[in-house]
Amino acid sequence: MSKAGKKSSQNFTRAELLVHAMVIELEAVQSYKELAEQMEQCGNSAVAGLFDKMTKLEAEHAAKIRDTAGDVELPDLAPWEFRWSGLEPPENIDLAGVHYLMTPHQALELALENELSAMAFFEAVAQDSTDDEVCCLAREFAADERQHVAWMKDWIAKYPPPDDDWDYDPDPPAAMA
Amino acid sequence: MSAVAPCKLKASDYKSDTKPVWCPGCGDYHVLASLAKSIAALALAPEQIAVVSGIGCSSRIPAYLNCYGFHGVHGRALPLATGLKVARPDLTVICAGGDGDGFSIGGNHLLHACRRNVDITYIVMDNEIYGMTKGQPSPTTAPDWDSSLAPGGTGVSPFHPLVIALASGANFVARSFSGDVNGTAKMLAEAISHPGFSFVQILSPCVTFRPDQREWKNMVHPPPVPFTTDASQAARRVMTDDGFNIGVLYKGSRAKYAQAVAHDDAFEGDFQNEFLV
Repeated sequence: MSKAGKKSSQNFTRAELLVHAMVIELEAVQSYKELAEQMEQCGNSAVAGLFDKMTKLEAEHAAKIRDTAGDVELPDLAPWEFRWSGLEPPENIDLAGVHYLMTPHQALELALENELSAMAFFEAVAQDSTDDEVCCLAREFAADERQHVAWMKDWIAKYPPPDDDWDYDPDPPAAMA
Repeated sequence: MSAVAPCKLKASDYKSDTKPVWCPGCGDYHVLASLAKSIAALALAPEQIAVVSGIGCSSRIPAYLNCYGFHGVHGRALPLATGLKVARPDLTVICAGGDGDGFSIGGNHLLHACRRNVDITYIVMDNEIYGMTKGQPSPTTAPDWDSSLAPGGTGVSPFHPLVIALASGANFVARSFSGDVNGTAKMLAEAISHPGFSFVQILSPCVTFRPDQREWKNMVHPPPVPFTTDASQAARRVMTDDGFNIGVLYKGSRAKYAQAVAHDDAFEGDFQNEFLV
């Protein structure tokens, strides 16, 4: 039941696609904001700063989708009524990959994975849709995500991969000592 | 907290301004998100909800929610929640905590809360460890889990919380995984809506003391069969499963606990007067 973003076989209406796109970004904003706070609390300011930047990036993207939606009345769906291809919206960080000593490179790798999942989600919607308007909109969203993927890759290149002992803690939690 | 129920709130509106102090990667963040989503989906007003907890990492959860909260003493969350629900049946009472609080220190209370079948929902965030006190084995820890605090493992068989709950009379029994935020939200909404005592065990990884639990996301799976209304059948299923089936296991139809004595305003007034200082 791990995260996957490759399949979405059902037809979406334009309003459904818009609400899915909106929730992807809004939940990503929430998720990155919380992670930035968690990292700051642990003294990992470098990664906290990156997650802060991701929060702003996703908030801008959410605003853009809101503009695209305009006056379209978006359906009010319960969380479990969304048709994600995995357990959660594709841009939510997988907490299993988070560590208090993680490096910026690792944080950005997680963010890249999210962008790739979101891109795959929209590409699948575009591929499966029989409605030209929905297909076109899904391709547009996939293109946005593709751009984010490119940004992430450029960003990752600026940070060295983690050392072998990246998680070494001179004062480890008791049960781990 | 608002005194008047506004129009439908978003899940984020149910989170308080207090920032959680759980470790980064802790599954309890997801449980908090699921609980907020479930009560938002049920459109419960914050002043209609009370979240009661005991002691432990997960028991901090009332502070992070925008509703009534009671952070009680170790292992006594269920008696508190029971008393509150009996006194204020109009409230939606949710009890929350961890496996140490609920199955060890508060273990006996679990039996009787199931038996009484008061209309509350009990969420146990099970990480098979005492996290707050630095990683001692809990009642659900595997006997061979080796650590510096239990070299070679405890050698003691783990507790089967779902079987215990079924045998003791819980009216709704389910298991979830914290990483399945939306699935857990749905399950919690069902549990809250189901009359009587609802028990939800949520496998919630402790990434600090049990980094191996990061793999749980790849181990959980839906149950091979849907829920049953037969408690003995449910118990057999859960006794023989691998511990990673997630889903609703049992929905009972036992009548929920009702107050034996009708509410008496005059009595309540006199009673409260006795406590005036």
